[in-house]
Amino acid sequence: MTNEETSIAVDNGRRKFLNWFLGTSAGAFLVSVTYPLSRYLIPPEVAESTAGTVTLSIKPNDVKANSGQIFRFGSQPAILVKDANGELKAFSAVCTHLGCIVQYRSDISQIWCACHNGHFDLNGRNVEGPPPKPLEQYVVNVRADQIVVNKRG
Amino acid sequence: MPRLIFGLLLILGFWTYPRGADGQPQSETCAACHLAMGVEKLTKPAELYKADIHAAKGFGCVACHGGDGTIGGMEAMDRKKGYIGKPTPAQVVEVCGRCHSDANFMRQYNPSLRVDQVAEYYTSVHGRRLREQKDEKVATCASCHKPHSIRPANDARSTVYPTRVADTCGACHANKEYMAPYKIPTDQLEKYKKSVHWQMMTTKGDLSAPTCNDCHGNHGAAPPGVSSVVNVCGQCHVVNAELFNKSVHSKIFVQMGIPGCATCHSNHEIRETSDAMLSMGDKGVCATCHTPTSTGATLAVSMLASIDRLKSGYEKAYMLLNNAEHSGMEVSQPLFELNEAKTALIKARAAIHGFDKSILDKEVEPGLKVVEKSQARGVKALEELQFRRKGLAVSAVIIFALVVGLIFKIRQMERKPK
Repeated sequence: MTNEETSIAVDNGRRKFLNWFLGTSAGAFLVSVTYPLSRYLIPPEVAESTAGTVTLSIKPNDVKANSGQIFRFGSQPAILVKDANGELKAFSAVCTHLGCIVQYRSDISQIWCACHNGHFDLNGRNVEGPPPKPLEQYVVNVRADQIVVNKRG
Repeated sequence: MPRLIFGLLLILGFWTYPRGADGQPQSETCAACHLAMGVEKLTKPAELYKADIHAAKGFGCVACHGGDGTIGGMEAMDRKKGYIGKPTPAQVVEVCGRCHSDANFMRQYNPSLRVDQVAEYYTSVHGRRLREQKDEKVATCASCHKPHSIRPANDARSTVYPTRVADTCGACHANKEYMAPYKIPTDQLEKYKKSVHWQMMTTKGDLSAPTCNDCHGNHGAAPPGVSSVVNVCGQCHVVNAELFNKSVHSKIFVQMGIPGCATCHSNHEIRETSDAMLSMGDKGVCATCHTPTSTGATLAVSMLASIDRLKSGYEKAYMLLNNAEHSGMEVSQPLFELNEAKTALIKARAAIHGFDKSILDKEVEPGLKVVEKSQARGVKALEELQFRRKGLAVSAVIIFALVVGLIFKIRQMERKPK
């Protein structure tokens, strides 16, 4: 076998290896691109919310007057209140005293913290008990039968 | 000689008095003369009074000092015309009460203002000593409401504005020399200024934080009785007070003659609480009465262990979820749910005032369940993060290998035409 023949045989072997290598690499490349894509296309278990606004799953007419309910604003709890006049209001549900989750008390029409008996009126103002400052108030808008809550400013 | 000069100045002043002055009815001439005197003792009250709430409402000097302000000169200060000069402490209360105890009169100016200040004052230690022992060193209206510059209590310049009450009371109560005859401590102001209440009021601007009058009363100022301490603290700390009143300690403290709240938390120097107060170590308060092997000590240690378990569990879950969130993982739902564990922890800290493990466990158990779930979700999120990172590394290797392969392929194709 001449040197030339040996080099052709080696070239053939290398070519085969390179073709195989490129083929599998291209396959792996496709998988590595399509897998994350598919993961992003299939929605995650929980919906991600944007920091400044949240659209609630509850319809405005399903909220009873003189009632309140906790909803998720990002990772923080917030409270949606419908007062006796039917006006919707939303506040941060984190008590300004030590950070407990507040709740709505229909018997006194106030927002109340069970931890240390703090009371807030329906403008979020701390009116009784240890909370030192008002609850942060959010803007509530009803758009096409959906409740949209925004942080102010 | 100074008396003679003072007298001459007075005569000169009244002889040359101008008519009318700010801060008093036009019919009164008192301020006009006093301001023209040039003697601080006489000008200062008239100058200060211009900014007094009473001046703003149209009251003149005569309203408190008597006499006839319509007459110029010394005749205005005729004792026969009711002139009293500087009122004695007993007269101060009588003079203020003349208007402030008259509901019909006060209604014209401030219908919601209380009119029982004088009645309350005579129930105070100050008022009782003044009336019963003729002690004129005690505080009267004018001691706290600075005469001639009285402002409403909600005016930040007022001596009775929340942030200034402590110093107003302290003017006498922190004065060792002045208080010496009464043989009571004079360190209340110093201690109060180390308290969490003062800290809240001054550093956080929380005017609802208590100062002297919130626990002692203002016009009826007196130390709360031993049995009343819980009620007084319970005005704000409602949940803790309710639990304490139902607890085993409530009755025992009464029998022992020691106050609720203050026995563990002190009175004037109330510091920020900590879980370590339940320990049997240096910072523990239970050890004051309970020996380390007693049932009380065992309960305290067991309650501390429960709270510590929830606290450390909460902190671990928060750390896991926070790490995951900072690494770009979507964990807002478990972070939101973890707020319930925080609420449970705060409730648990209040629940210890029931001194009953079952009351505490009612708050701790639900918190622990949330913590457990949150920790698991935090771990899962971080595992998912690791999986994605490994995936990225594998992809990067593959892409790199593909690039290298392509380079070889291109070189080979370039060699072919030869």
